[in-house]
Amino acid sequence: MRTKITAAIGVVALALPVANAAAAAKKKVVTITRTVKGPQAVADQWGYVEVALVVKKTTTTVGTHKTVKRTITKVTAPIYPNHTDRSVFINEQAIPLLTQEVLTTTKFNPNIELVGGATATSYAFAQSLQAALIQAKRI
Amino acid sequence: MHRVEHVMGMGIVVAARDGDVPDDVFDWFRHVDETFSTYREGSEISRIRRGELAVGDASEEVQRVLGRCTELREETSGFFDIDAVDGDPSGYVKGWSVDEAAAILDRAGLQEHAINAGGDIRVRGTWRIGIQHPLEPQALAKEVEGTDVAVATSGAYERGEHVRDPHSSHPPAGILSVTITGPDLGTADAYATAAFAMGGHRAPNWTAQLDGYEAMTILADGRVLSTPGFPSA
Repeated sequence: MRTKITAAIGVVALALPVANAAAAAKKKVVTITRTVKGPQAVADQWGYVEVALVVKKTTTTVGTHKTVKRTITKVTAPIYPNHTDRSVFINEQAIPLLTQEVLTTTKFNPNIELVGGATATSYAFAQSLQAALIQAKRI
Repeated sequence: MHRVEHVMGMGIVVAARDGDVPDDVFDWFRHVDETFSTYREGSEISRIRRGELAVGDASEEVQRVLGRCTELREETSGFFDIDAVDGDPSGYVKGWSVDEAAAILDRAGLQEHAINAGGDIRVRGTWRIGIQHPLEPQALAKEVEGTDVAVATSGAYERGEHVRDPHSSHPPAGILSVTITGPDLGTADAYATAAFAMGGHRAPNWTAQLDGYEAMTILADGRVLSTPGFPSA
């Protein structure tokens, strides 16, 4: 999804120079950086986790056309379990072998046929859900 | 059609798109429970653990499972070690029993089937699989499309919080969950358990060098590190 949006912005950006030349509109770029925090989430006996993101928002204005691009530049966890071991260090060599994303939360949807993962916190929930998902496919 | 039964201490879902789920799949799971359960005093594993049965005198399948557990200890630098849990092989048995059950479904002529045993999954054909969010039980962290693949997850939110680093006996730090995909669920499950026990420092690197298996590690700081071949949506 994000790839598609970026691609669309790319097309707009490519088209702009032509419009620029014709209208001689001025290009204005404003960049702001904000830190946003998520709610404290309970990780069972592990305690609480709170994630903070540093988001860079770049607004490019050309004439009346405005393009906004947001990128996450940093992910931190001001609060997380096992505070004795705050620094999670990843060997630099491994980074090219691994893709890095930010943990996202997706709601269950009827396209999901199987739920993998967990059992403890929501064992009954997961089992019931699993059955319901299969049923949902038939409606 | 799909069937759900409570065997081996968990709900097991068996689903097939192209026919009926045969009874002998659940007969198989009950047989595995009777043979391998540590909760059954008369199981071969319980007898081995009490010293009443020598491994060499156990059934061929018990010897095969214990032999594979020894290999997995080597493959995981000791991070999957059934000796650390008093010889309880259930961390491998669950996945292995699903692999064998999938073979039963194959032999029954089914080509589109899926088994979900307490959150560890093996599918034939293409299925949409959600990986549960490690911090929010009613949400997903990832949605993937899997074809002829096994998907095993180990995390702090599992029942019993039983995963510990066998070298230190401490719960692992800096890590929320590890999901491993690959051809064999027993192996994927053992790898996931081992990688989780390694903690956030070591797990991502270790998963990057696995042969034939892909991984997604969710770290406590919210980073999700995946190997290049991990399935996508």
